[in-house]
Amino acid sequence: MECNINYLPEDLIAHALSLTAPLDACKFAATSSIFRSAAESDTVWERFLPSDYRDVLQRSVSPVLFSSKKELYFQLSDTPILVDGRRKMFSLERSSGKKRFCISARELSITWADNPMYWTWKSMSQSRFEEVVELRMISWLEIHGKINTQLLSPNTTYGAYLIMNISNRAYGLDTEPSEVSVEVSGSDNMKSRGIAYLRRGGAKTSESWKQMWCWHRTEMMESIRRVLNGGDFGEEREVREREDGWMEIELGEFYVDGVVGREVKMSLVESKGVHLKGGLVIEGIEVRPKL
Amino acid sequence: MSTKKITLLSSDREQFIVDEAVAIQSQTIKNLIEDTVPDEDGIPLPVVHSRILAKVTEYLTKHANYKPHNDAAKEELKNWDVKFLGKLDNNTLFDLILAANYLDIKGLLDLTCQAVADLMKGMSVEEVRKLFNIENDFTPEEEEAVRKENQWAFD
Repeated sequence: MECNINYLPEDLIAHALSLTAPLDACKFAATSSIFRSAAESDTVWERFLPSDYRDVLQRSVSPVLFSSKKELYFQLSDTPILVDGRRKMFSLERSSGKKRFCISARELSITWADNPMYWTWKSMSQSRFEEVVELRMISWLEIHGKINTQLLSPNTTYGAYLIMNISNRAYGLDTEPSEVSVEVSGSDNMKSRGIAYLRRGGAKTSESWKQMWCWHRTEMMESIRRVLNGGDFGEEREVREREDGWMEIELGEFYVDGVVGREVKMSLVESKGVHLKGGLVIEGIEVRPKL
Repeated sequence: MSTKKITLLSSDREQFIVDEAVAIQSQTIKNLIEDTVPDEDGIPLPVVHSRILAKVTEYLTKHANYKPHNDAAKEELKNWDVKFLGKLDNNTLFDLILAANYLDIKGLLDLTCQAVADLMKGMSVEEVRKLFNIENDFTPEEEEAVRKENQWAFD
């Protein structure tokens, strides 16, 4: 008796496809008509969506309309939705269906951010959040954000990124390196640290010699300090340009095992330099799977 | 622990005698035991051939007698599953999926469907058609349309 997979009913083909990956399911829709309808079924896409997607949709500020689970999947991976009273953005990584969140500046704890002398809240067309915050002038720069791992996808390494911009009139931001860190509560070995100079990538060459000299000097002092401190500053992270017009800097990474919910603390601090600095614009902190 | 024996009868009327604890991992068999008066020869499973029922009982026997208590034991059971799958040709695999579905054995259904999924992962559409002997019943226009709808998967 000749037997082939075509003898399997559509729901069993769908069951098998649901155990592949979103990309495979889309690809194999082109195999035959039964594969196509199996590959488009809710059985498959329900499995690719995060298990708590209904909760997330309930937290969306505007209703999310969709006619199939596949449509919902692509909607969530193409366009982030605003949740929790517009204070977070939620979306899916298209290739894996893993969750990503962007926490707005309003949801972060930024030292003296409610003092208009130091920080200015404003709306910006490049941001989908109602407000971003711009540093006018401060000597103590300290930004903290937190997220519970229960919100994230299990068995996944995540990276936390500060989404920011550096305005044209920025000053003093990269005189001293900022210390960045990510820490998972209740787990000793889950701490990631680093340093970062808040400057546009490649800015070194376009700036004046005098500033160049200053940088070299501070960087040299920094390396001396690192040696004195036993080199425990972590690696240096670079500011990267994003496609959406913002820049980002990695604060650190952490692993979500998904067994128990833990709080993740993410921060950027530059409080050693006593000089004033300004011109840093903060949109929020993005937490997304590391590829 | 019950040591009561249950006789299962394949579509070609071959008898399989197993412990009740082994048999009732199948929700369908469990319901049949509870709800019907058994045939003199055993519980009839008219859609499962002896060739497949032998595989099903092999799987159920292993899983009933093997309750993993630690990671090492879980690992061993996993390895056993891999070996079990390794001995199957594709047709037997598909028949097992049908049987696991009919007999309502979640573990076996997931295992066999995962095996099909793993076979397909990373393959091209043409390779999958060839591997599973699937006839392409699309017109060229239809196929073009499906590929276009799912463009990102072909980039």
